[in-house]
Amino acid sequence: MFKHLFILIWNKKKQNFLLLTEVLISFIVLFAVFTLLVFYYRNYKTPRGFDYQQVWVATYTNNFNIHDSDSLHQFYESLRNAIQAMPQVVSVAFVSSNTPYSNNMQMNGLQYQKRQLRSVNSYIVENSYLPTLQLQLLEGQWFSPADAAARKTPLVIDQTLREELFGNGPAIGQLVGDDNQQQIIGVVQDPKFNNDYSLTGKAMFSAPDTGSIRSLSRALVRVAPGADAALEGRLYKLMANTMKNANIQIEHLDEKRNSANNFALLPMIILAVVCGFLIINVALGLFGVLWYNINKRRGEIGLRRAVGATGSSIAWQLVAESLLLATLALLVGVFFAIQFPLLHVFDLAATTYLWGLLFAIVFIYVLVLVCSLYPGKQAAAIYPAVALHED
Amino acid sequence: MISLTNIEKVYRTDTIETLALNSISLDIAKGEFLSIMGPSGCGKSTLLNIMGLLDTPTRGQVQIADQPTQHLNDKQLAHFRNKKIGFIFQSYHLINDLKVLDNVELPLLYRHSAAKERRLLATAALEKVGLSNRIRHFPTQLSGGQKQRVAIARAIVGQPEIILADEPTGNLDSAMGHEIMDILLTLNKTEGTTIIMVTHDEIMARKTHRLVRLFDGTQVQ
Ligand SMILES: Nc1ncnc2c1ncn2[C@@H]1O[C@H](COP(=O)(O)OP(=O)(O)OP(=O)(O)O)[C@@H](O)[C@H]1O
Ligand SMILES: [Mg+2]
Repeated sequence: MFKHLFILIWNKKKQNFLLLTEVLISFIVLFAVFTLLVFYYRNYKTPRGFDYQQVWVATYTNNFNIHDSDSLHQFYESLRNAIQAMPQVVSVAFVSSNTPYSNNMQMNGLQYQKRQLRSVNSYIVENSYLPTLQLQLLEGQWFSPADAAARKTPLVIDQTLREELFGNGPAIGQLVGDDNQQQIIGVVQDPKFNNDYSLTGKAMFSAPDTGSIRSLSRALVRVAPGADAALEGRLYKLMANTMKNANIQIEHLDEKRNSANNFALLPMIILAVVCGFLIINVALGLFGVLWYNINKRRGEIGLRRAVGATGSSIAWQLVAESLLLATLALLVGVFFAIQFPLLHVFDLAATTYLWGLLFAIVFIYVLVLVCSLYPGKQAAAIYPAVALHED
Repeated sequence: MISLTNIEKVYRTDTIETLALNSISLDIAKGEFLSIMGPSGCGKSTLLNIMGLLDTPTRGQVQIADQPTQHLNDKQLAHFRNKKIGFIFQSYHLINDLKVLDNVELPLLYRHSAAKERRLLATAALEKVGLSNRIRHFPTQLSGGQKQRVAIARAIVGQPEIILADEPTGNLDSAMGHEIMDILLTLNKTEGTTIIMVTHDEIMARKTHRLVRLFDGTQVQ
């Protein structure tokens, strides 16, 4: 019977071409959407790597008139102590502008032996950054005052960069950078700084030195639960008084996270809506074509009944034909889809594609099944004596 | 072979009620070649459909091969038709998307015969109707007479005891019609197949063993 159906479909390939194309195109779209959803979901499930709650970020313009870096160090130290001394402040760290959920990025290259890595997120952070954001230290240690005596510049990297540089080999103590001027002292868990649905990727952290101290332009402040607008006001006043002409803006990381997440979700929602309309369209199209085919094939259905088909075997045949057609379209579709992981078209894990593929296949089959069940049932109800009488 | 007792068939639509058959009783012996004649709309096709278990009578009993049929379910009816009855129609009812051979194999498909056996039986049936050289053609590539011979091959491929033919020569010219008639006569003579044929052609009807005339749903001869 399977072969019989295959012959039937094959001999009608011209009529079926449109339906095949329709299924193929919807499969490709579904594959893209599901792959993206799986990608987002997996990112969402990845640990955040830091804690955004009870953290404020104070942005200031850092064009103050302090020219030598030692004075700048002292300036920051006294301001830090003053903020730290405020009640309800747990810890504070001055950092470069690429704070969590800020949309700011600073990418640098990193040399390791003969390899030049590109696009490594580079964060200039003070020692108190780790407790303030509660990053998770996985190996080695974080910066400490003792680093001042170190002969090489200490560097902390994230897990992704660690794997890219050293694989499973040891990381702590390795020398990197131009002329091996930097030394890895610690590895932290990957922080998801952009939003909950995307990964930040390779990242390295270094303490401000005489040059990079000028790029500090944010203060991250961890506050105690219950910290309120009064504290915010006093913090603002303290910074404004200390920094004279600077513009100061205080924001809360949890709010910034919400808007970053919403912003990330927006394209997904639009895509889902568009995809939903597409699916409704395809479903109606499929349903219409199957319905039309059945009415065109009343004579054939009557004849099959006459030579020994039961009503249910007629229904089964029509459903099986649709599923077989879908399978043909899917074979072509899977051939194209499988090229994405094979050719590494985008930087996605192969399993993400495979899940996307699986979901798209299941969805197509369910769609085709649902769309052919009712026409199949109608076909089963065709009265053979009447159908045979018609032409 | 077939025994009809007080068959009555009423078609009901929203507005009218048609009495298509009115207390028909008929006994058809095994190996008999019976023809049915009558004006258009008198109920010939209806009667044939009832004999072929494609339709159920409003009243009365149908016995085929000494077996009452009114209690058979859909599956049993389908099985019965498949095993015992071959159908031939005025408009052939071939599936245009299947080659001649696949068309002829169709009844065997619902019998779950093996592919090899199907091929063998279908080829033999096509040989009997003189179409061995057309098995790879599609129905649209055949003449009317050839199509009807394919339909006959399909009707006999499962070696049924009964063949029901509804105006098998109705769409054919007289030469073609006689050719088809000869095939049916041979089949009746050599294999002993019981044949019931509806026809409008007196000459064809005279070649059969017995003639039944219907008028307005009632048997008049
Ligand atoms: N499905 C149906 N619903 C309602 N009435 C029907 C149906 N089928 C047949 N009839 C009516 O039953 C009567 C007998 O029809 P039938 O088809 O048996 O005639 P027939 O003798 O085969 O005619 P013809 O020689 O034109 O083929 C007709 O009056 C017809 O209108
Ligand atoms: Mg008729």
